[in-house]
Amino acid sequence: MSEELSSKFISYYSSFSNKDYSLVSFERIFGGASRETYKIEVKGDTVERLILRVTQDSSLIETEQETEYLAYSAFQNSAVPVPDLLDMSEDKNILGAPFMLMKELKGEAASPFTPGVYSPNEKKLGYQFWSILGEIAKKDINKDIFEILAEELSSPSWKNELDKWVKVIHEDSISIEPILEAGIRTLYRNPPKEPERLSIVHGDYRSGNFLFLNDQITGILDWEMAHIGNPLEDLGWALSPIWSWQDRKRPGYLIQKEEALKVWESSSNIKVDPVELKWWELFAAVKGMAIWISAGNEFKSGKNIDPINLFSAWIPGDIHLEVILDILEDNNEA
Amino acid sequence: MKPDINEALLNAAQEIIGRFSPLIEDEYERSRLGSWGALILISAMKFNDAGSALYKENEDIVLWLRDYTNLDSEELTNLDIKAYQDVSTVDKINQELRELLNREFMALEDSGDKVGIRSGLVLMRTMHQRRKVSDLIGLLQVPED
Repeated sequence: MSEELSSKFISYYSSFSNKDYSLVSFERIFGGASRETYKIEVKGDTVERLILRVTQDSSLIETEQETEYLAYSAFQNSAVPVPDLLDMSEDKNILGAPFMLMKELKGEAASPFTPGVYSPNEKKLGYQFWSILGEIAKKDINKDIFEILAEELSSPSWKNELDKWVKVIHEDSISIEPILEAGIRTLYRNPPKEPERLSIVHGDYRSGNFLFLNDQITGILDWEMAHIGNPLEDLGWALSPIWSWQDRKRPGYLIQKEEALKVWESSSNIKVDPVELKWWELFAAVKGMAIWISAGNEFKSGKNIDPINLFSAWIPGDIHLEVILDILEDNNEA
Repeated sequence: MKPDINEALLNAAQEIIGRFSPLIEDEYERSRLGSWGALILISAMKFNDAGSALYKENEDIVLWLRDYTNLDSEELTNLDIKAYQDVSTVDKINQELRELLNREFMALEDSGDKVGIRSGLVLMRTMHQRRKVSDLIGLLQVPED
């Protein structure tokens, strides 16, 4: 499959660039949630390093490629570092599936489940991580892009998102999970306010979804769940204890939560309401459960037996369930 | 005396992680095989207790339903958990009991019964502690190193 794809790719890329290229390397990167991702080196007049994202028949998260492309487009040459886009095609005849092509950014992505992975630069990276998220929240998005990303938005935006993920849970669950159901009911019974201003929401902003080189964040990746909504949604997701399970006071294994909130508030110009944030933190755990349940369903049905699907159903699924239980217990204390 | 199944799984996982995975040059395939090794390791750690944990969970849910709800006792008697020992039947009963727990917990929320809600959360915490594998997360760092 990979050899066939690499040969199709080099022929496509030569034609796309109107130059002759030879392939230096073509490697699949492990762990992509919604697309098969390949790291490619080609040689023409110079050596070029590219990233190819190919849509999978069956993936952990079902998403539109166009969403990711639009989100990357919205942040080209901005304070939010994203890769330079080269091409996107929905035509399955070129590479066998829809794809997106971009320039490779320098840096590496870390596993969100490995403590100490950013050491000794966790402080500098932490400030950038929360500051960039604030930049995303305050960004004025191009009107055309905003309208496309807001197409499915109904009012209120929190309900739009919650309904979407609850539907996934009820369609893909193998069995009923009383903790999760109680969490869902809590969200519907105590809805948050609509924000003064709707923002672009990354949808999966967390440790592991950015590239870093020493003490610099060089790219924010994986925008396939981007949409228009409440900026606290991204904050709740990024703060989720799942991304620093072995050091829960330091979200993303970066800086302390209180410090992170200060940086985000200063960068976004939005004051965080703790009650509202708590709702979005519970929402994040419920949304996470939807993703992990969906992955478990893919695995159990045999549609995709990639171990990432089994891992997702077991470990992150357990953790987010525990996060929901912690919040429910906290709500019912005293 | 034959070696236990979980011992076989443990050894298989160690062989995959330590012996076969490093032989693969392709980074993606090596990571994928390493992940399988770690997941088999987790399966082996939980294998022995899975059946009895499910049985115990059923007992706990029935006790809670009797103590904190007005559920028809006939409905509970029909779910005669002690009559079955095979895992698939215990699992089937477990699904039904979870449905009941969810339904009755929702009724307690609606009525604002704080004591019942807290006791339900204690039960759910016990159930979660018994089922969870996330405490083995450290094992998954093996293939990444």
